[in-house]
Amino acid sequence: MSSISELYDVSWEEMRDKLRKWREENFRNSEQIVDVGEELINEHASKLGDDIWIIYEQVMIAALDCSRDDLAWSCLQELKRQFPDSHRVKRLAGMRLEALERYEDANKLYDSILQDDPTNTAARKRKISILRAQGKSSEAIRELNEYLEQFVGDQEAWHELSELYINEHDYAKAAFCLEELMMTNPHNHLYCEQYAEVKYTQGGLENLELARKYFAQALKLNNRNMRALFGLYMSASHIAASPKVSAKVKKDNVKYAAWATSQISRAYQLQHLPAGVMLTSLALSISTKTPYTTAASAGVAVVIEIHGRRQT
Amino acid sequence: MPELLLDSNIRLWVVLPIVFITFLVGVIRHYVSILLQSDKKLTLEQVSDSQVLIRSRVLRENGKYIPKQSFLMRKFFFNNQEDGFFKKTKRKVVPPSPMTDPSMLTDMMKGNVTNVLPMILIGGWINWTFSGFVTTKVPFPLTLRFKPMLQQGIELLSLDASWVSSASWYFLNVFGLRSMYSLILGQDNGADQSRIMQEQMSGAAMAMPADTNKAFKAEWEALELTDHQWALENVEEDLMSKDLDLSGMFSKELPTGIF
Repeated sequence: MSSISELYDVSWEEMRDKLRKWREENFRNSEQIVDVGEELINEHASKLGDDIWIIYEQVMIAALDCSRDDLAWSCLQELKRQFPDSHRVKRLAGMRLEALERYEDANKLYDSILQDDPTNTAARKRKISILRAQGKSSEAIRELNEYLEQFVGDQEAWHELSELYINEHDYAKAAFCLEELMMTNPHNHLYCEQYAEVKYTQGGLENLELARKYFAQALKLNNRNMRALFGLYMSASHIAASPKVSAKVKKDNVKYAAWATSQISRAYQLQHLPAGVMLTSLALSISTKTPYTTAASAGVAVVIEIHGRRQT
Repeated sequence: MPELLLDSNIRLWVVLPIVFITFLVGVIRHYVSILLQSDKKLTLEQVSDSQVLIRSRVLRENGKYIPKQSFLMRKFFFNNQEDGFFKKTKRKVVPPSPMTDPSMLTDMMKGNVTNVLPMILIGGWINWTFSGFVTTKVPFPLTLRFKPMLQQGIELLSLDASWVSSASWYFLNVFGLRSMYSLILGQDNGADQSRIMQEQMSGAAMAMPADTNKAFKAEWEALELTDHQWALENVEEDLMSKDLDLSGMFSKELPTGIF
């Protein structure tokens, strides 16, 4: 196996900087981290200085993802030797136990951390992840709610809770969690879009209107969010097709849907896909006549398929 | 007013050494204060309360991005007359006076030792060493009242009050080098005397628990006043006023491998 540095012709500094970039932007590309990190640790440990400890942590978590127990164990040993009483290292030891599915031992370890320091959020979150790994989602939800009662500001936790609620099909509560996230990150178009999708799934005229508004907001924040554009089209056309709306609302929504269609065609024209444009417009025109139709989704699926083939 | 010509040796052997001494003493004070700092352990309640306050503030500022119903739901949760969070939660108010709370006492002692004591000692030493001559002249005219204060050791009745002795030069330095300290040691450094004296003057018992109750009350009032102006009222019109900007959507290059 040739090493990374030979394969890509990079120096150890570039490898270290790449690892830092992945660390800061929270990437989860564990196999790549293991490849780059392992070589950095084995070949260039002396040159890294104090950076090596955080690299050990990063590589260890990635190794657990790839079930490289040998690498994880050696990283953990180094960290234990350097930081014997650290809570952070204890949490890593707990994560290794979780990876080996020794959940009781891991729980005992996290409890001992919490006894020492009740404000330690990392240990609490790991305990909740254990519940999730064991499939006990209702207990996980309960524990996560208690956690959030005390640490209201933890955005990662709110997002996790919204995911758990979506899995349980409790869309109202998932929407609540996403609202918290939208408030703390008003310029993040992805939260707006996810909120809109949850509202769309809940169904009902009010929720569809909210969904349409939030799809529009997501588009306003990021003009290139295709998913939001399709969502805008779908929610507008459903409202327009609903029998209970007034004529004015129907007219407005038909206008919105038409605008969305034109934008979608424009996007496909950018990619020089005339077939795609035709199919899209065909599918969309069919769907405006019949709501909840599978034809629209089928048309969209074909378009995406062609699109995908074109990319590769 | 007679112009005095000072010996240039004064500049070399008095003015500059005093500057150096003050500066170095300040740096040493900063490191000593770091060494003597005691760990501040936060309780779970304090962490939780600070986050709740942040959430309430976020609700006030960004509440316009969520639907009206959700905003009202949260406002009700916080401010409800009977069991709203801010109404219901009363934290135990124990103002840590220096006598009862031992950790505060030791903190105050350490603060005094590291800051006030060296200043007095060094000021006295400088006064004793560099006495009997005029050191420098302040650029603005002063009244005669300042003479005994600034000209400690010079017994000349007719000398202008603008000419000062080395002790006053030392005090000038202590306050003047503050900005140098923040440049070199970063903000919030232990050598910043005037900040510490300000803190001591503003209230020796800045009780955190009482602060929490007051903070809750302030948040309650602020939240009561906030209204919900939905930012998404006309979002479709805004969005559809012009075509979408789709530039950069399809990148020509696909990333190959890691680097």
